[in-house]
This record gives sequence, structure tokens and C-alpha cells, in this order.
Amino acid sequence: MEQTQWKRSSKMWMVLACLMMSFFSSIESLSVTVNDVECVYEYVLYEGDTVSGNFVVVDHDIFWGSDHPGIDFTVTSPAGNTVNNIKGTSGDKFQFKAPTHGMYKFCFHNPHSTPETVSFYIHVGHIPSEHDLAKDEHLDPINVKIAELREALESVTAEQKYLKARDARHRHTNESTRKRVVFYTVGEYLLLAGVSALQVIYIRRLFSKSVAYNRV
Amino acid sequence: MEKNNHTKQLRSATTFLLLWLTFIGESQAIWLTIPTSGTKCVSEEIQSNVVVLADYYVVADEVDHHHQIHTVSLKVTSPYGNNLHQKENVTHGQFAFTSAESGTYLACFWLQNKHEQPLTVSLDWRTGISAKDWETVAKKEKIEGVELELRKLEAAVEAIRENLIYMKEREADMREVSEATNAKVAWFSIMSLGVCILVGALQLWHLKRYFRKKKLI
Repeated sequence: MEQTQWKRSSKMWMVLACLMMSFFSSIESLSVTVNDVECVYEYVLYEGDTVSGNFVVVDHDIFWGSDHPGIDFTVTSPAGNTVNNIKGTSGDKFQFKAPTHGMYKFCFHNPHSTPETVSFYIHVGHIPSEHDLAKDEHLDPINVKIAELREALESVTAEQKYLKARDARHRHTNESTRKRVVFYTVGEYLLLAGVSALQVIYIRRLFSKSVAYNRV
Repeated sequence: MEKNNHTKQLRSATTFLLLWLTFIGESQAIWLTIPTSGTKCVSEEIQSNVVVLADYYVVADEVDHHHQIHTVSLKVTSPYGNNLHQKENVTHGQFAFTSAESGTYLACFWLQNKHEQPLTVSLDWRTGISAKDWETVAKKEKIEGVELELRKLEAAVEAIRENLIYMKEREADMREVSEATNAKVAWFSIMSLGVCILVGALQLWHLKRYFRKKKLI
């Protein structure tokens, strides 16, 4: 009896603390190397929160082969349903409204053997609704407007992070292009010189004394 | 059956996490699973002079057969390889640093002792404006409530503007590299033609000399 009361009061205190903590929105922007499957978990506190984010495949270490076709991205809700599924892409944005609160799983799947580095950004945004306003007397209707403004600014920041990740990918591509140009061209020259030297040696052999009387 | 067990474990871990949150008063973090062997690394490209604040803890499972205290080891390195923070066998911790150089900062986790199951670690990684301590600002300037919120929004707008300027500089750098590569491609192609002609001429000259020597022409 006492335990359930304590649990309930602590839960209420937690909800209040979270509400008063200025409708925090979690911001995570990180890169992770995906060998096969890499999963990242993010907790969504309220049902109906907008979860938005983006991811970009940044690495470009493949030198000799053709470029990587892309990775798969899956979002699983705490109930086990697939909320979002993007296949074979080198980067995309996503946004969905969380159907329930709980731990959401964001998984990247790399179907090929070359490891890829994925830079991702996940943002959980909460705008207090009428229900929250009624629950807590500290909340002003202006807080709703401020939360909306914050979410709008967050979307700009998210876009910037996406552009930054894309820029990193382009930089890797440029580096790779530069390396390929230099190495392939120098290799081409050496190969050309080698083949012509081989040609000369072969022709000389054709006309050499020991073989000439038998063949040419 | 195993999936049900796993979801039950996850749910119990989640309630534990919620209770933890009331005492820490921290915002959320992402959870990573550390494999039993090998390291799990997360990285971020950070400019110089940016404050980085991070909190991590091992997410405990209630259903634990051996009642072990799971520990994790981690190492944070700067782009030049300097060791910024290293801890072995800890359950929770926190580190903060100001980035000296711009580049990729890496945080790697691994399991030191033998564990049968992969471990879940919660990492709260904040850079730049998210790392700002608003409580001290509020206390110092004696602002609160709506004014504090507006101050936060102002800081967010400033961060957006700084990011934009940074992106402009990066774009200028990349444009230079692209144009250099473009010039290289053109120059190398023409040179390849030159090398071809040169090598052909050398061949002809050498063979002519050889045949003349051999009295064949």
C-alpha cells in the first residue's frame, strides 16, 4: 500500500519535473559505424510527440570498387510495430508522431560487407497541450507558443545538421575523387610505359639471332 | 518467448531509468548496446572551441540472474589522438571538455570483463548550446520563467546563425578542392596524351636504332 503510494508520488513528481524542465527536447547528433546492424534507442516521454530526425551515410572509403548502394533504416515502436522503414538510401529525413510513449528503436542495417559510417540526428519534440495546461497551474498559455517557436527553431537546426552531414559526405567524396584521379592516372602512365617497354623487348626478341633463323 | 522476456526486461529497465531521472534531473539520452566482444564507438565532427558535455551510465536490468554489477570501460579521443577521458570498469560517469581542434571526436565503449550478454549504456552527449548550463545563467542574471525561455530561444537563434556562417566557410573550402580536382583531371588527361605520344616516339626511335645496328634496314 505504502509502496504503491510512493511509486505514484514519485511518478507525479517526475512528470512535474519534466514539465517544468522547460519542455526539454532531446537532441542527439552522433556518428556510428555500421557493420551489420546498429541500433540506437531513444525514449519518448509523451504520446503524440513528434519525433524527427535525419541520417546520412558519410563514409566513402571504397577505392577500387563501385560506390556503396545504401543502407536500410527502421524505426520500431515500444509495442514492436515498425513505424518507419526506408530501404537502400544514402541519407534521408524522417518525421513521425509517436503513437505511444516508451523506448523507440532506430536501426541501421548494412546489407553489404563494407562498413559504413552513418551520421544521425534524432529529436523528440513536445508541445504542451490543453491537457497539460489544465494539469499544472505553473504553465501559461504563452508557454505553448514558446514551445511551438522552439520546435520551429529546432527544425531549422535539424535541417542545418542534415546539411552539415551532407557536406561531410561531399567532402569525403571529393577526397576520394582526388585520390582516385591521382592514383589511377599515375597508374595509367606507369602501365603505358610498362606495356610499351614490353612491346620493344618482344620485338627485339623476335629479331634476335637465336630465334630469328627459326621463326621470322 | 525470448522476445517477451526481452521486452519485459526492457520495460523494467525503462521504469528504473525513469526513477533514475527524477534524481539526476537530466534530460534524455540515447541508449547503445555494447557487444560482448569488440568496441562500440560513436563520433561527432566538432569545430574548435566548442563545449562538450556528456553523461553516461549502464542501464541496469532488474532481472539479473547473477546479481552482478555490470561495468563498462570507455575512452574519449580527440582528432589528433589525445586521450581526453578514460575510465575502466565504471557504472556511470561524466566528462566535459572544450574542443581544442576541429575534427572527429570519438567515444569508444567496450566490456572489460567477460559478460554473457551485451550491455546497454545510456549516453547523453551535448555539444555547444545544448551543453549550456541555464541554471547558473538564470541565477546570475536573476531571470526565470518566460524570460528564461526567451533567452534560450535567443541563444538557439545565435547558434543557427553561427552554424550558417560555418557552413558557408566549409562550402568555400570544398569549392576550392573541387576546382583543384577539376583542373587536375584536365591537366592529367592532356598529359596522358602527351605520355602516349612520347612513349610511341621512344619506341620508334629505339627500334629504328636497333634494326640499324642489326643491319636489317
